[in-house]
Amino acid sequence: MAFGTLKADTLTHSTAGSLATNFVVEGSSKSWMLLNGTGTIALGDSLNITSVTDQGTGHYKPNLTSAFGSTNYSVCSGNNERGVGESNYDTASRMEVICRDSSFNAADANRVSATADGDLA
Amino acid sequence: MTVTPEFQGTHLWDRLCWAKENLDGVQSDYRVVYEDSLDECAKILVPDPNWMACALQGGILPPVEVYWELAKDEAEEGFTKHTRGYLLHNTKPVDAMTEEQAIEYLIMKDVPQSVWRVWNEGNKPKMVICHKEQLPGTREWRNAWKITEELGVTDLAA
Repeated sequence: MAFGTLKADTLTHSTAGSLATNFVVEGSSKSWMLLNGTGTIALGDSLNITSVTDQGTGHYKPNLTSAFGSTNYSVCSGNNERGVGESNYDTASRMEVICRDSSFNAADANRVSATADGDLA
Repeated sequence: MTVTPEFQGTHLWDRLCWAKENLDGVQSDYRVVYEDSLDECAKILVPDPNWMACALQGGILPPVEVYWELAKDEAEEGFTKHTRGYLLHNTKPVDAMTEEQAIEYLIMKDVPQSVWRVWNEGNKPKMVICHKEQLPGTREWRNAWKITEELGVTDLAA
């Protein structure tokens, strides 16, 4: 790789103790996105997202560029308007996010966020 | 001009982190509208700006065929874990694409093959590439959106 690489199995603080770097690598979010789910939906910013499929009102499927190793990964989502929703995996390379209103009907939100953690393929 | 490092053999996620730090996102006006079920509304594929930047830059993304191979593995009965993830990282990355080529790549990656392989067979097109301005501006009736039956091939935005 052309950019710098630091290889270490452990990070040690002078007083606070040590941390194995696999906690950092495995514990980092592998994908996240922020999208405006109203009007003609558009992605604001992201990491490891290829595209988002607008499935219908309040229903989005973010597609991943670097897939997870299996469907055993965690997805967490939220939105600024209602705060109620569902998030899950669809496949190892596609998440699913549904925003709902207070009556639990699917509803669009203008700031939808999602993040996924797990082991990549 | 930013030069892409030699990335073949580098984990794809590391490449995306490099791109995030070194490339500006590119908002595409293109949208892909498709129908994969008679009972459901039309789906709309929205390209990601950071991914589009990678596609236009070149030397970062794997060939789309790699994703087909992984999808085949995942469709196998009893699939538990990807064992050919190395295809994403070790296959020679594709060269820089135009925005239109990037949209074609995206279709072949993220639209179901049952749609894009036969997109123009049947009574009406199953898929349309359009500009976002061509979509309805309000989502009030979003769950009723369908590709019109009158839409001819000559009407499709290229």
